[in-house]
Amino acid sequence: MEQNKELTASESLALISETLNNSRKDILRGSAKYFMLWGALLTATSLVIYLLWHLTGKPQWNFLWFAMPAIGYPLAALMGKYNKAMPQNEVSKMLSGVWRVFGAFAITLSAIAIFLVPMHVTLIIVIIMGLAECMSGVLLKNWPIIICGFLLGVGGAVFAMLVKGDAQLLIFTLGGALLLVTGSIMKLQYK
Amino acid sequence: MFPKLDPLLHSELRLAVMSILAGVDEADFTYLKKQTGATSGNLSVQIDKLTAAGYITVEKGFKGKMPRTTCRITPAGQEAFKQYVEALKEYLSASK
Repeated sequence: MEQNKELTASESLALISETLNNSRKDILRGSAKYFMLWGALLTATSLVIYLLWHLTGKPQWNFLWFAMPAIGYPLAALMGKYNKAMPQNEVSKMLSGVWRVFGAFAITLSAIAIFLVPMHVTLIIVIIMGLAECMSGVLLKNWPIIICGFLLGVGGAVFAMLVKGDAQLLIFTLGGALLLVTGSIMKLQYK
Repeated sequence: MFPKLDPLLHSELRLAVMSILAGVDEADFTYLKKQTGATSGNLSVQIDKLTAAGYITVEKGFKGKMPRTTCRITPAGQEAFKQYVEALKEYLSASK
């Protein structure tokens, strides 16, 4: 890029628009890998717990859920370290905020349900997860993600009420798969 | 009468740097270099000019053991960028 190149008015506007667009795509493509990381972790964790619970008949395997943030947050931090040059824009900050809030609610409510007040934690988490997915779709202006989030929240709530025991965990396997799909859509959308 | 185009922004590389910084909180030198495709020397010179005009701020520091130069657009820079875009639009609408 030449510093002294004379630009016409239309060339200047085209340059501004192209630069802003490229930067936006770059940043959101960078966010996609966090969706894929958490999607893969959620799918794997829910399947492992489902299988262990199903095979042994012990619901205590649910304590393994706490391994997910213990593995996920350091991995996400490591990914951020290798990606240190990537700036943040308003959309990537809001996406990160939505999922951090979801994580805080999910971990706190799970801990309360286990140690203090028993509650239907699968129902609550699947609803707020669907909501977070919907919000992500709204921020990204992407209808497939909005619809996936809505179906996960509403369908997941119905599933959680109808199905009992270890089979309930499969809704989180689907949730994890949806996060992987969201990450893939973002990679394609911002190619 | 058309508004005068800000000569500081009417340069390809400086305009690209300002366009990137207008859309993000902050960006480091490596990112700006990658996005603009400019050489380090050329980019440094243009960043110095934008800093001298008060359009951006530059912070030199370290992230871990690696040196890091972070650039941010200032409110004056945001305003100048906005006025520049408005002026461009006026030029274009008059030429139609």
